[in-house]
Formats: sequence, C-alpha cells, structure tokens
Amino acid sequence: MAPHTGTLSPPRPAGALARLSDWSERHFKWLLVAPAVLLILALSVYPLLFSVWVSFVNYDFQIPGHAFVGLKNFSMVVFDPVARWSLVLTVLLSAANVAIEFGLGLALALAMVRTFPGRGLVMSILIVPLFISPVIVGQAWALLLQRPFGPMDYVLGKIVGHDVTISWLTQTPWLYISLILADVWQWTPFMFVILLAGLTSIPPNLYEAAELDGVDSWLAFRAITLPQLGPMILLAITFRLLDAIKLFDTIFIMTAGGPGTKTYTSSFYLYTVGFTQFHLSQATAGSWIFLIFTAAVVSLLVRRLLNTEPA
Amino acid sequence: MNERERRDFEAGLAEEVDAWLSGRPTRRTFITRLGQMMGMLPLAGLALPAWTSEAVAAAALDLADASTPLGKAQAAALKASTEGPADGSAFRAVAAAKQYSGVSLSMTFEAGLQALDQRNFSGPVWEQLTGIKSNVVELSHPDQYSKPVAEHIAASGAYDILDIEPAWTPSLADGGVIAPLDDYIAKYMNKADFEDYHPLYKALPTYKGKIWGFFDDGDMLALYYRKDIFADPKLKDAYAKKFNKPLEVPKTWEDYAEVAQFISDQLAPNVYGAGHFRKAGSPGNQYDFMQQFRANKGVLFDADMKAQLASPQGIKTLENMLAANKASIPGNNELDAVSLWAAFLQGKVAMIYSWPPTGRMAANYSQSAKAINFIPQSSVAGKVGYAVMPGGHPEHATGYNKALAADSANAEAAYLFMQWATSPPVSLARTMLPYSLRDPYRLSHFKSDLYRSLWPDAKDYLINLNNSANVGLLDMIMPGWQDYALSLDRMCSSVWAGTDPKEALQTAAAEWDQTTERLGVDSQKAAFAEYSKLPGSSADHTIETMGMAVKMD
Repeated sequence: MAPHTGTLSPPRPAGALARLSDWSERHFKWLLVAPAVLLILALSVYPLLFSVWVSFVNYDFQIPGHAFVGLKNFSMVVFDPVARWSLVLTVLLSAANVAIEFGLGLALALAMVRTFPGRGLVMSILIVPLFISPVIVGQAWALLLQRPFGPMDYVLGKIVGHDVTISWLTQTPWLYISLILADVWQWTPFMFVILLAGLTSIPPNLYEAAELDGVDSWLAFRAITLPQLGPMILLAITFRLLDAIKLFDTIFIMTAGGPGTKTYTSSFYLYTVGFTQFHLSQATAGSWIFLIFTAAVVSLLVRRLLNTEPA
Repeated sequence: MNERERRDFEAGLAEEVDAWLSGRPTRRTFITRLGQMMGMLPLAGLALPAWTSEAVAAAALDLADASTPLGKAQAAALKASTEGPADGSAFRAVAAAKQYSGVSLSMTFEAGLQALDQRNFSGPVWEQLTGIKSNVVELSHPDQYSKPVAEHIAASGAYDILDIEPAWTPSLADGGVIAPLDDYIAKYMNKADFEDYHPLYKALPTYKGKIWGFFDDGDMLALYYRKDIFADPKLKDAYAKKFNKPLEVPKTWEDYAEVAQFISDQLAPNVYGAGHFRKAGSPGNQYDFMQQFRANKGVLFDADMKAQLASPQGIKTLENMLAANKASIPGNNELDAVSLWAAFLQGKVAMIYSWPPTGRMAANYSQSAKAINFIPQSSVAGKVGYAVMPGGHPEHATGYNKALAADSANAEAAYLFMQWATSPPVSLARTMLPYSLRDPYRLSHFKSDLYRSLWPDAKDYLINLNNSANVGLLDMIMPGWQDYALSLDRMCSSVWAGTDPKEALQTAAAEWDQTTERLGVDSQKAAFAEYSKLPGSSADHTIETMGMAVKMD
C-alpha cells in the first residue's frame, strides 16, 4: 500500500453524493420495503403494544395520571356480572345465528344449484341483504317491529285472526328472536353463496356413478354432497362465526343493549365501557380477554380447516 | 389513435415500464415523482375544503321574510351586531372578531336539527359579519362527550367550540378538555347579559369558581296535554262520579297515573291517557326517574356518599312509573322521543312530558320549515295546554353549554363567536328558528313579544317554561354523571321488562357506589357538595325556595 503523502483534502460533494448513491444502490430493496414496515409498525404493532400498556395502568379519562394497577382492570371485567352475561349472550347469539344461517343457506344452495328460468334474478334478490350496512338493517327491522307504529303485530294479527301484542324489542324472548331475525336475514346469503360455490364444484360423475349404483338422493347427499362440501362448510362457518361474535350494529340500533343489560353482547359491553363511560383501561383489558376467548375458538376452527380435505 | 401512434405509445410505455422494472436509471425519477405526488396531497387537502365551505356558505344563508316575527328577530340580531349599542356583547364580539377574518372554527353539534342553526343561520351570518368561517361537526349525543375527550387525548386540536351537557362540565374541566372563559369575559362581555339568564341557568357553566362556557339551550321538561279532552263534559262527569273529585290536569304523580288510566279506559284505542319515551338509551328513563325520585323527597347520596336509590322513595317512584306505563299507549316502553312526538301530534295521546320543541311542534310552528317535515303535521294544534310537571319539580334534562375547547388554535376567535351567538338578540333569533331544537333560556326570550306572537298560545308556552324553571331540578353536575345516568337507564328499562323494582334499585345503587369508589369517595363527596349548592339540586333547594323565582305574565 502506498503511504499517504501531503494533506487530505476535504471530501468533495460529488464524492458524498456518489457514496450516497452507492449506499442506496446496495440497500434499495430495503428502502422500498421500509415504508410498508413503518406503516405496519405504526398502525399495527404500536397500537397493540400501547393497548397492552393501557390494560395494566389507570387510563381513565376522569381519573388523573396513569398509575400502574396490575391486574385490576382485568379483575373488574371478570367480576362484572354484565361482562359475564355479555359473553354468554355472545356465544348463544353467535351459535344460534350461524346455525340457522347455515341451515337456511344450505337449503337455498341446494335449491339453486340446478338451473331454472329466472335463477339469475332470484339469486340477485337473495343476495341483496348482504350489501346493506348492518346499521340500516337494524333500523329497518326496528321500524318493522317497533310498537305501536311497526306493521309486524298488525300483519300477524290479520294472519292469526286476533290481536297480537308482542313487544318485539323489549320483551323476553322476543327481543332475542328479533335480533336473530335481523342477523339471519342479512347473513344467510353469505352462507348461501359460499355453499353454492362448493356445490357447483362437486364433480357430477360422482352423482352419475351413484345413480348407476341405485343410490337414493338422501344417501347421495350424505355420502357425496356433505363430505365433498365439508371444507367449504367449515370455511363458511369459520368466516361467519368470526363476524357473528362481533355483533354490535343491530343491537346498537334495535335495542341499545336494553332492556337493562339483556342484549349486551361483548362488543356492545366493550363499546359502552370504553366510549360511553370512557373507562379505557377496563375496556382494553376486556378486549384482551375477549380476544383470548375468540382466538381459542377460531384457532380450533382454522386448524380443522387447514387439515380438512374433501373425502 | 392510428397504427403508428399506437406503436409509438406502446414503445414509449415499454421503455418506461422496462426502466421501472429493471430499476436502472429511474430511481431519481421515482423519488421525484413520489415527492411530487406527496406534495400534491396537502395542496388538494387545502384546496378542496376551502372551495366546498365557500360553496356551502354561499348557498346556505336562510333568512326569514322580514315581515314575520322571525324575520324581525333576525333583523334585530343583525342590527345589534353591526350598529350596536356599542356596549352590547353582540356588537363587541363582531368588532373584535374581524381581526380573525379568514380563520375557520370547528364546532360540534348534535347531529341533525341542532346543527342546522349553524349551517343555515348563525354560521353564514357570522361569516358575513366577520369573515370567520365555521366547520360544523355533527356528532351523536354520546359522541359529543366522547369525541372531544378522544381528540383531547390525541392533542389533535380538532375542535374549537363544543356543545356539551352542563353535567359534563366537571369531567371535561378536570380532564383539561375545556378552558375557562373568565379572562375573555372580563375583556369583551357586557356583564349585564348574565342578568338576562333565568336564574336556574345562570350558574350552570360555573365550576370551581370559574366559568366554563355559556348556557345555550333551556331543556326544561314540561307537561303538554289536550285541553279539549280535559274540558270534555262527558269525561268530566264520568271522572267525578268515579273518583269523587273534578277532572283536572294532574299535579301529583299519583294523580297523573290515575288520570292517564281513566282516559285510556274511556277513549282507547282512539286516544290513550299518556305516552313516555322509555326505550333504553332514549334517554327518557334517567330524567324521569330523577325528577320523580326527587319530587318524592328521595335523597341521592347519604353523608358517606353511599347511594340511596334503594329506598322507599325509590320503590314509590318506580311503582308510579310502572302505573303510568300501564296506562299508556301500546308500545310505550319501545318509544323514543321522536316516536312519542309522532303519537302526540297524531292525537293518539292525551298527555306527554318532553322537551320544549313539543310546544312548537304541537302548534305546527316547527313544521313550517322543510328541514323538519319528517315530523307529522299536528292534528292537535290549538288544543294543547301547557303545565308544570306533576310533582311540581320538572327535570332540566341535559341542556347545552357552548364551551371552549382547550386545544383550540383559535381560542379568542372561538370565544367571540360563543359570546355573539349566545348574546340576547342573536340567541333570541336562534331559539325562534322553526327547525331549531335550541330552546328559550333567557328572560328576554320568555318576555319577547316577537316569540309570543309565533302562534296563538305561544305566550302561555313561554310563561310555563319560565315557571317550570322556577321549580326545576338539575341533572347531577359532577364527575361520573355519565355512569350514574347509564345505571338509571339500565335500572328503569330492566324494570319495564319485568325485573323486581327493589332488586333493580339495589343493582343500580351498587353500580353508583362502584362509580363513586372508582372516582374517589372524597373527591365525589366534595363534587356532590358543590353540586348541592346549585339551585335545582333538590326539591328543597330550587329557585323558588331560595326566593329567586321570576314572576311573569
């Protein structure tokens, strides 16, 4: 190596630019990825970590400071009878909604799998509710059911031949039936569309072979349709269940959680604690508890989904 | 595009695409163009709202015919703003605000009709007078509390002026969401304006010795009843025979339930005795319970801040409310305020108690505006009487203060708007807007000849609102009111659905105690002590019992 002689001249701007250019040349792939990584960190990871912190401190607007309170926020949720009831109701409503929607969706899909005149029009009408905002669905059903102005009791009265005085939105068990009715009306088409796609993908030669073997339609349904449709059924139930456990909009509009706390679902409970009472720490702790319950159920379903193959 | 042009285009496209894909020569172009695009975004963000708000302002100003009472009130408001008197708050506000011409103020309103005043009248007039624009933010009622809190936590400075319930003042003041006005008041306001408030409303924005807003909506509940039904000779005879006393507008809650049941028994299904907005969250339950419980001499907390809801007075209140429900229109427990209005305007109900717009709608004055044409035309216009609530102590249910957001970047301009909008001449014009839900609250409103000429019985309506304020009760203006009120709403609606009143009262009392403990027993005790000093905090401590009642004829 030749020894340096004389004084070092300061780096020229052109050299700095060249080094910068070289550096960007070497790291260009990272530069391209950086915005996406930063976005994920800012919009996903940071809020998640922040929410963990909030759930262990006092983050209540009406109480000054953010003192560490350990598990107090979690215990307030666990020992709150309203929270426990909301979880029970969430499970019951989700199960009822998804079960009914699955049954009706499957029946509709089986009815619509063969072509007939006007099938396209009927299908279009059937899936319209899917595209309506749940808030609008809730408002529409509230208008239909609300006494004394809604027409439901009047129409039922005409059908059965005597006065009907059901308080659909305030009387047990009718208020639960009303909520299920609104949900089933909106989301049955979702089941229908997915199951119809599954039905149309079953190879027709299976049915032809069964027919040659003299298999009746009920046996064909049990031995061919259901096993072949299995993965799609699991997919539809998983997706729908994921959404059903977040039930909020129709409750907010139709019953506002009432009467009392009879129609508090977990989402409605967390909303009320967080954004009506503004106990953010308690609401955040409740969200984590709810997330753990949800994750347990969903991971089971997803595991089944990933391991399932058509028979 | 001919063949050659197409080939040139595709070649150019391919060159550009190749360059992008290979990443060789165009990084600089990439970065330059990215920078250009990023630069365009804020420019577009600046240009679009400015253009749209100008277009909206130009289209919005909606002044009434100058020959009508409303037109005259609006002309008087403009005159007071531009010609004086020079020491008037409206004139002073406008003169001082001109230095902020070009500023835009964001202000929250309850979504719907409340915001129309600002969109159609106050906002455009203020802009014409001062050059200050207004950005109306419409929020649902609960969000009028939660959004400012959230924005304050985020330090966004999103709002300049907040419409808030007076009961929220302690929470928002302690939380630093709103700022005191005392310095601005000393600098700009004509203090005589304070003397023009009805005494019940005068102290509402005061907390810990400071003034945290201007009261701006007199939400006093009152009884609205069908004069023709109470004057019906057959009904009067039948009532006298059955109860051995004359049929009169009820003065006690027991009489109220009894009269309602009698009318339902006689006239249903054409007319029912009463109707109430009892739907969960509507929010009639909490206000009705509070007024009846306190009229029954119920005490809210004991000396140790333990809730006293589960008491004989609590049982009596809920049992009487149940009796009233039984006497009411079918579906009573599912009604919200608007549905109840619809039932009354259609002549289906003989008595309701609700907010002051009821009187304006019943007279068909409100429906003269297109904005409120979703409310049915009144079939009972001219037949409606006004009375102080049974029990003699109506609830002042919510109301609104205009408050200054602590994070406002234009605090002084915002304050000046608040002073102008709530000044006597401007607030009169605003409360007279047919579509407005902004109700009279100043003595000059109650005495206004212009307001009294809006419909034949308007004078009686205004006098009744004044008299109701003399004996009226206030919501609990203290931290935690949101939680306490939610517990009451849950308690009442669960009782309507069949829960035993005693059990529901105990549950609500336990929730109240939990709220008190969460916020700190000592600090809540101090807050309740301060609230108890306000006129209207209990039936024994009203404007009337304090010797401050305003007599009016």
